[in-house]
Amino acid sequence: MDSRLLLLLIILPLTGGVLNACFGCRLPRQMRALLAISSVLASFVLTLICWPLAADGGTQVTLFTWLKSSGLQADIGLFFDPLAASMTLMVTGVASLIHIYAAGYMEYEEDQARFFALLNLFVFAMLCILLADNLLLLFLGWEGVGFCSYGLIGFWYQKKENALAGRKAFIVTRIGDLFFTIALLWLFALLGTVNIAEINLRATELDPLLITPLVLLLLGGACGKSAQLPLMTWLPDAMAGPTPVSALIHAATMVTAGVYLLCRLFPLVSLSSVGMATIACIGAATALYAASCALEQREIKRVLAYSTMSQIGYMFMAVGVGSVAAAINHLLVHAFFKALLFMGAGALIHLAGGENDIFKMGGLKQKNPFLFWLFLIGILCLAGAPLTGGFFSKDAILLTAFSRGDGLSAILWGVGVFTAGLTSFYSFRLLYLVFFGDYRGDKSAHHLSPLLIWTLPLLALLGLFGGLINLPHFYGGSEMLSHWLGVAPALELPLPTEIGLLALMTLFFVAGWLPAHLFYRKYQPEAETPWRRFLLQGWRFDALYERVILQPYRFVANFCWIGGDKALIDGVIEGIGRTLLHWGGYFRQLATGQVSFYLQGFAWGLLLMLGWLLLKAVT
Amino acid sequence: MTFVSLTELPILSLILWLPLAGTLLCLLFRHSNFACRWLALLTTGAVLVLAICLFVGLPTAPGWLIREDYAWIPTFGIRYSLALDGISLLLVSLTAVLQVAAVLISWKQKEHPALFYALVLLLETGIIGVFLATDLILFYLFWELMLIPMLFLIGVWGHGNRVYAALKFFFFTLAGSLCMLLAIITLYLIHGEQSGIYSFALESLMQTQLSPGIEMLLYGGFLLAFVVKVPLFPFHTWLPDAHTEAPAAGSVDLAGLLLKTGIYGLIRFAFPLFPHAAQQSLPLLAVLALIGIFYAAWIAYVQTDVKRVVAYSSVAHMGFVILGLAAWNQLAWEGALLLMVNHGVTTGGLFILIAMLQDRTGSRDLRALGGMWKTLPFFSAFFLLFCLASLGLPGLSNFAGEILVLLGAFGRWPVFAALAAAGVIFSAAYMLRVVQGVLWGPLGQLCKIGDKDCLHEDLDRREWLLLIPLALLVVWLGIYPTTILEPLRGPISLLLQGGGLP
Repeated sequence: MDSRLLLLLIILPLTGGVLNACFGCRLPRQMRALLAISSVLASFVLTLICWPLAADGGTQVTLFTWLKSSGLQADIGLFFDPLAASMTLMVTGVASLIHIYAAGYMEYEEDQARFFALLNLFVFAMLCILLADNLLLLFLGWEGVGFCSYGLIGFWYQKKENALAGRKAFIVTRIGDLFFTIALLWLFALLGTVNIAEINLRATELDPLLITPLVLLLLGGACGKSAQLPLMTWLPDAMAGPTPVSALIHAATMVTAGVYLLCRLFPLVSLSSVGMATIACIGAATALYAASCALEQREIKRVLAYSTMSQIGYMFMAVGVGSVAAAINHLLVHAFFKALLFMGAGALIHLAGGENDIFKMGGLKQKNPFLFWLFLIGILCLAGAPLTGGFFSKDAILLTAFSRGDGLSAILWGVGVFTAGLTSFYSFRLLYLVFFGDYRGDKSAHHLSPLLIWTLPLLALLGLFGGLINLPHFYGGSEMLSHWLGVAPALELPLPTEIGLLALMTLFFVAGWLPAHLFYRKYQPEAETPWRRFLLQGWRFDALYERVILQPYRFVANFCWIGGDKALIDGVIEGIGRTLLHWGGYFRQLATGQVSFYLQGFAWGLLLMLGWLLLKAVT
Repeated sequence: MTFVSLTELPILSLILWLPLAGTLLCLLFRHSNFACRWLALLTTGAVLVLAICLFVGLPTAPGWLIREDYAWIPTFGIRYSLALDGISLLLVSLTAVLQVAAVLISWKQKEHPALFYALVLLLETGIIGVFLATDLILFYLFWELMLIPMLFLIGVWGHGNRVYAALKFFFFTLAGSLCMLLAIITLYLIHGEQSGIYSFALESLMQTQLSPGIEMLLYGGFLLAFVVKVPLFPFHTWLPDAHTEAPAAGSVDLAGLLLKTGIYGLIRFAFPLFPHAAQQSLPLLAVLALIGIFYAAWIAYVQTDVKRVVAYSSVAHMGFVILGLAAWNQLAWEGALLLMVNHGVTTGGLFILIAMLQDRTGSRDLRALGGMWKTLPFFSAFFLLFCLASLGLPGLSNFAGEILVLLGAFGRWPVFAALAAAGVIFSAAYMLRVVQGVLWGPLGQLCKIGDKDCLHEDLDRREWLLLIPLALLVVWLGIYPTTILEPLRGPISLLLQGGGLP
């Protein structure tokens, strides 16, 4: 097979995006959506066709040289290996479904061309991240998804808050990107290359002392994109964007880029035990933090946003405890069921007449039972109900943490299990509030395009059976994904331990579900308490950052301008000017215009000169 | 046109004096608005065609590609010598492109159009002269020649506080260049005493033996002239005023070209003439550049005038360029010169767009503007593109230069480079604030929905013609910078090796 086919993978969405951006406004309405859908769908089909190229160490292909200077060579070059292939298949597949869904969701929107252009460009940039063979191209994708996310969060730009949310997302993730940039610069200075495969290969040459800071820098970059502590504040606000965007960018793909980066550079990352521990701790802390916030959210998409953050925390934990397969497995399964949940939520918001407060929903089960069952599958996966895809993938992560046996891993495992309980609780809280009881809203349902429903069943199936991708031997599986990725399969634990853990996980699932059933099965208004507000506002991190970072930033800015430029520099310059003018004023007084005065000056001058000559002659 | 026929013509003189001829013709036909406008366009167009011919036709070799050398004032050893290598070729091409843009953006010039176009063309001669001259007196002549048209462009056709801005610009640069004149004459005399040959030719003067103290002093004179023009912190305060008050064509020329003459002077004259002093000054330059990056970005963040934001962003970008030069290696220099060209295109484009915005809404105030995407979608798309390029989005022009500078600088000063990388966040902060203020949000206070004055026309044919090539250039330079990195490679390595001449 011609390896150049791979290039089409990124070129197709790019072309779709550029065409829509440049000529979209001249195309007929349906053409815009059709163009966007077909380009992504073609990419998906192409991934399937190219699949064999990923085997046997992968395939490398170069389009042209992007940047070349002394010692530096960065190509527009792709590397298609099992890791990249799995991710590409997921991204193009989910993106295709979401594009189709979006055609229904955005049917009556103005500015469809802009929407689909950005959506296509996003897929292009995301594929650049996945397929790049060097860090600079990866960075191009990295910033590209950031920009598309910015443009799409603020898609309804006429509301100021939407555009501000987009800007926040861009700048906060860019803070993470700074760390990534520094890591890139440093790696180039040390190894003289930006090629990913070469960096991985030569990672062991590096001074062990330098690896830890390098890994921490990479982690910083990953945290920004994947909304992990402490750079997580942008994700809940990002829900201001249209729902397909939230599903695609802020649940299934872009936010997992951080996890992917760490997996991509795993040979380097795994060399630093401190770095790995930090990754795992950040993951566990975020998982817990986000789950706690999700408990009290009122907007349906914000609940899901915090749950995404929390689930990505699990993936970080998986990387940190050394299991790439578990991380990627959870990433894939999560992408399926979270896209399902978000797209379901979009349909629900339409059903509730544009309302997104779950306390004003309720009783939607009667309105559309089919949607209820689909959403239920998503919720079960998220909550980790036994035998769903979410259960297996989460279980694998916790199992790996447990089997490592050291103190830190035990704590991580504990946090993970506890968070699983919380997850189960807030998932069912959401389900009960939205679907059960009576309809509490006052808006009438919008028309629901069939595309909004019929794209979901496939995702539901994938989510439900996603566990099969990497089913451990314990359940009679063969750990397909681990073999495919070429990483070590999970450790085998003794049978009683395994059964005990399984029982424990099931117990926590039930322990989360039961209180949710008791409190929310029948709706009752909740009193607002300070504690609730604290969780609702995400532990008030926004307020903290406002005071610690933004206010000082503005203060320094004003200080530089008024104190520095205006007062100091211009003050000195204009001061010099004024002083000269002042002196000039004195000298001007000498020009009186009276001949007698000038003659007087002449005489005095002559006298002085003569005196000086006389003095010189004497000495 | 083949390479052979190019070298047979005195093409450098042609490219240099063509705009001056245009100036004279403009003055001759001063009563016809129409004639002047087309004369200006034809002249700049012809220069552009010549520049493109040179760019395409010349090989990418390290040394001088074309030279012209005639005696001029033999008594003092002053010669009329022009020379072109990869670096000057690139900058002449940039000048040619931006001058066409400058003429097109001032197409509807109503006040004294003849004089206006005449000055713009005169400015072009001055700038091209600076990029071509290799005799120091000739260079100085062109250096000062740039000043005068710019002074009048700002002072006569500028906005609000134009006289203050024009004078500030004039005195800042004049003070710097007088120091350079003193240094040039001193160097000339020292060289004459040493060798017995009195000459202002760059090549001869480079052979001068200087004691470290004198070298530092003379270098200081050159440096002052150039860093004021760049401008480097803390000599930058003329720039925001001049940019803001200048008419559109003036801003385009200032940002796109005049700032580049400073950089060009540094690498062509200051560094090669005084290599030891230059080496010693590098840490200072790097520190000032780094301060400038943050200081200017910070100030840009609190400006309310769009033009001022872009002006301060120029200071920050020039900080990156100087940082690259101070790193003194191939990678960083290629990045710095690339960034210089990229900055010329993006910032030029932004000033053009701001002029269009001001034409339509009569305002540049971020607090009053907003929601332009609704009324001017095409304009807004271009505006977004140029803003993104300016904040260094990979795949668009500025990123390529910035990342090369950072990669190169990291090799020499890791901490500085890491800090400078943080400057990228700052640029995102102020640039997105501009985008937010102009494009997003509800329609600004200037417009109420349904207001007839508010229904501005989107881009007309002339504006499309102006913006599309610039936009293509921004994308092209972002994804295939090899086009201009190739011709730069040889000359840069020559400059770095000898600190010397091609």
